[in-house]
Amino acid sequence: MRDRVAIPQGGPAGYPGEARRSASGRSRRRSVAILFVLPAALTLLAITVFPLIYELRLVFMSWELTTNAPARFVGLQNLIRVLSQDGRFWTSMRVTAILMIGGVAIQLSIGTGLALLLNRLGSRRTLLVSLFLIPVMIAPVVAGFQFRMIYHDQFGPLNYVIELLTFGQWGGFAWIADPRVALFSILMTDVWQWTPFLMLIVLAGLQSVPVELYEAAEVDGASPWQTFWRVTVPLLLPVIIIGILIRAMDSFKLFDIIYLVTGGGPGNVTETISFYTYLQGFKFFSLGYTAAMAFIQLIIITLIAQFFLRFQRQQRGEV
Amino acid sequence: MRRMTRLEAAVTAGLLIAALIFFMFPVVWMFLTSFKSEAEYFHYPPVFIPKDFDFRNYFNAMAFPPDGRGGLQGLRDSLIIATATTLVAVLIGSLAAYSLSRFKTGGDNFSFWILSTRMFPPVAAALPLFLIFKQIRLLDTHLALIIANTIFNLPFVIWLMKGFFDELPGELEEAALIDGCSQVGAFVRVALPLVTPGLVATSLFSFIFAWNEFMFALLLTRRNVRTLTIIVPSLVGGHEILWGEIAAIGTIAIIPGILLSILLQRYLVRGLTLGAVKG
Repeated sequence: MRDRVAIPQGGPAGYPGEARRSASGRSRRRSVAILFVLPAALTLLAITVFPLIYELRLVFMSWELTTNAPARFVGLQNLIRVLSQDGRFWTSMRVTAILMIGGVAIQLSIGTGLALLLNRLGSRRTLLVSLFLIPVMIAPVVAGFQFRMIYHDQFGPLNYVIELLTFGQWGGFAWIADPRVALFSILMTDVWQWTPFLMLIVLAGLQSVPVELYEAAEVDGASPWQTFWRVTVPLLLPVIIIGILIRAMDSFKLFDIIYLVTGGGPGNVTETISFYTYLQGFKFFSLGYTAAMAFIQLIIITLIAQFFLRFQRQQRGEV
Repeated sequence: MRRMTRLEAAVTAGLLIAALIFFMFPVVWMFLTSFKSEAEYFHYPPVFIPKDFDFRNYFNAMAFPPDGRGGLQGLRDSLIIATATTLVAVLIGSLAAYSLSRFKTGGDNFSFWILSTRMFPPVAAALPLFLIFKQIRLLDTHLALIIANTIFNLPFVIWLMKGFFDELPGELEEAALIDGCSQVGAFVRVALPLVTPGLVATSLFSFIFAWNEFMFALLLTRRNVRTLTIIVPSLVGGHEILWGEIAAIGTIAIIPGILLSILLQRYLVRGLTLGAVKG
């Protein structure tokens, strides 16, 4: 960075007192640099680091608000209980994994398909893209409410449309109450909300593919299918990886839609890890136990985030 | 690229229209429901278009309890929280972003640490915040939610603004410095005006994130503060399901999102990927 400080020659360098000014200017730059960062750094320290330390302490405590007993130190017991004795924890992890993997796979395939279609439209697509993106920009809670109406077994439009299309053969599905389909209903809500996001970033990637490459592929007699897999996909890969990682992190935290549409039920077939943690902390009030689960999630998210950051840094290095 | 044949064009249009119906239907359905009477939304086969478009549901939804659903209070609280969070995050965030971009303060690791706080699972942050706020009697206040939302919005603003400052050539500020401008002056009078579009986009994103936030609002408030995102589920869980009125609140709650997806199109990719994809 020091080279930036160097004052271009030939400018007003001949001014008297110039040398003194640049020497004191350097230390002033340093103090400005730190002064500018300080408010944000202190804020983050107070609102993220401090609460985390507070929580870390809780991981090793047993503190049940329901029993009125004082908090006591229990060592690693909470972590051991979560990982080895809590079937519900692992069930919720499985639900989360299914939603994450299934969701990202479906969203990526449909999103890529739509992006390829939109890319053909050229500049006419602008309004269309905005309309497609509405699901991404609205509150997940509201999206959940919309689907709650759509899934309603008696008055919902979904069952009605299915009945029309199958001439009354099928219908009357309990999208929310039937344990065999509830998870699927959640998955579709998530797909509805986030497919446009992946569509958007694949579209952005497509625009950066040089047209010459397609022309060259066509001259070489490549079929559209070959062109897609050999030219488009490799060039889109960095963008797609970023998209997958962002979606993976977000769907790991899936909570709002669950709360609105199924409340984790029926039973706990749609209970994600976020939702289970919420129940432990704010319904059963096992604070130490909740902290232990929160930390496990924090570690998992940090691992995915590390991928994301490393990948980004690597990409920047190449540019 | 190759021109499409007529068949291809027809297939493309058909698929896109189908997709558009799929992605628009839930929103349109909610919008229509907000005008339906109870007899219409509890009817089989479902009524698609309400008989008359009056604003009865909207009045009931916005009015204060016990007669109404308190939507007006929700609107007020959501506005206060989203605006204040955005102001705080943008104010201290763009200062930090400038410093990180121009002086590489703290190096790459510090920048990446800031970004990684954005990835936090909210449920992990909620428990300690709840206990701390309880102790200092901050639960159920606007301030509690402003602080909680800042956890995610501040790193977002810093990271996005850093990207905008990185793209700005440093020469202009250097010229200002040589002309006797102070370091702070170079920031305020040279750099800041040049990143205004980015600053506006970042602020709008920050606003919408705080506006749409749900988990903190659920866990850190009770009665005094009720954002729109809290009112919707609380009515869904009630014993009589007032679909028309909930739909009215829901429709009001998504207006900023719809506006922004149109206004922000140029910056959508960037904002939604934390600057990882420039678009």
